[in-house]
Amino acid sequence: MTLTTAATAPYERESGRHRLPQSLLAFYLVVWVILAVSPVDRHDWLLENLLAVSTVAALILTYRRFAFSDLSYVLITLFMILHAVGAHYTYAKVPFGFWMKDTFNLSRNHFDRIVHFAFGLLLAYPAYDVFLRAAKARKGWALLMATIAVISVSGLFEVIESWVAQLVSPELGDAYLGTQGDIWDAQKDMTMAIIGALITVGLTYVISKSVPSPVP
Amino acid sequence: MTYRKLVLTGLLLWYIAFSIAMAIAPANREFWMAANILPVMLVMVLTMAHRLFPLSTGSYVLITIFLTLHTIGVHYTYALVPFGGWLQQALHFDRNHFDRIVHFSFGFLLTYPLEEWFRLFARARGWLIYYLPVMTILGLSGFWEILESWAARTFKPDLGLTFLGSQGDVWDAQKDMTAALYGSLLCVALIVVNRKLLERSVSVISDSSPSLEEPS
Repeated sequence: MTLTTAATAPYERESGRHRLPQSLLAFYLVVWVILAVSPVDRHDWLLENLLAVSTVAALILTYRRFAFSDLSYVLITLFMILHAVGAHYTYAKVPFGFWMKDTFNLSRNHFDRIVHFAFGLLLAYPAYDVFLRAAKARKGWALLMATIAVISVSGLFEVIESWVAQLVSPELGDAYLGTQGDIWDAQKDMTMAIIGALITVGLTYVISKSVPSPVP
Repeated sequence: MTYRKLVLTGLLLWYIAFSIAMAIAPANREFWMAANILPVMLVMVLTMAHRLFPLSTGSYVLITIFLTLHTIGVHYTYALVPFGGWLQQALHFDRNHFDRIVHFSFGFLLTYPLEEWFRLFARARGWLIYYLPVMTILGLSGFWEILESWAARTFKPDLGLTFLGSQGDVWDAQKDMTAALYGSLLCVALIVVNRKLLERSVSVISDSSPSLEEPS
């Protein structure tokens, strides 16, 4: 079984080619359920999962209308798992982040920064997939649109975060935001996402140049 | 000289003349320098690209209005714009809101030129026509906030605070992005309403003249 990419996936998913998306969904659900057991802070976990659950639901509901390529589903699943781990540990308390802080003498737990970077790195490709295959944009434009989508969605995310933080109790808001006392937190988060997106877009461009596209 | 050429030349001359007038004794010379880098680059790009990517005359007018507003803001270091101060007194605001107005204008005035750009040169169709300009505005606003935060940390801290224009608000970046998003959404709504009305008037004309043959 070959892994389809944005360049090779046909618009209509062939019958009998649903195994991979189904397995990824099952895998995610198992991980999600395990991480739903006694999270560090139940309220924060709930808040973090509002968007995650809606995203997965949207992906399932739109599957018939538009199916991503296999590669996109793998990348999306990786990101959703990273986010599920972050939500379980309230981001600022992820053990891996603490380990990194001790090893590299960092000032704070950087796990949330890593996930912001992963947002750009892992989700720029699925965005490219949508623009190329659903919107039928040309390759160069689709890459530009994917970059714009990542930057603007991370900006929108920071805006929504600030609303949530102002709505709910301030102390939980801070945990959810994970500003960890840094006034430039929002800007640094967005920068990480942009860097991640630029790496993926650059790689996609280089690889698609060297591999002749089978799509006429 | 055609009408269009006359208007475009007039707009460019207006921007240059107004910039020179506003270059005289600005409230803070360093801030004025830093905040003028991007607009000057934009004007240069637009001038050089006007043959390759020609936008409508209306778009150039909108861009010029926005640049004029920004030039006024930069002359007064934003937080000291007299109109904003008058607004603060008249409507009992807790701060000078001129920068928020310009962020809103950024979304409201530049969405149409972007829509045109994507429609004409990326040949975007369907939902993409309305989605792309809004997301680009949001992405550019986020990018602007990142640049602001870099500038604020690189330059002297006191200058940085003015440049940030936060006036002591930790949510300033998010509110600025939201203002641009609202401006952009309003502009897109106007474009959609305008197109619907236009479609209706076209169909009314074709209904009232039965001799007109329907295109197959």
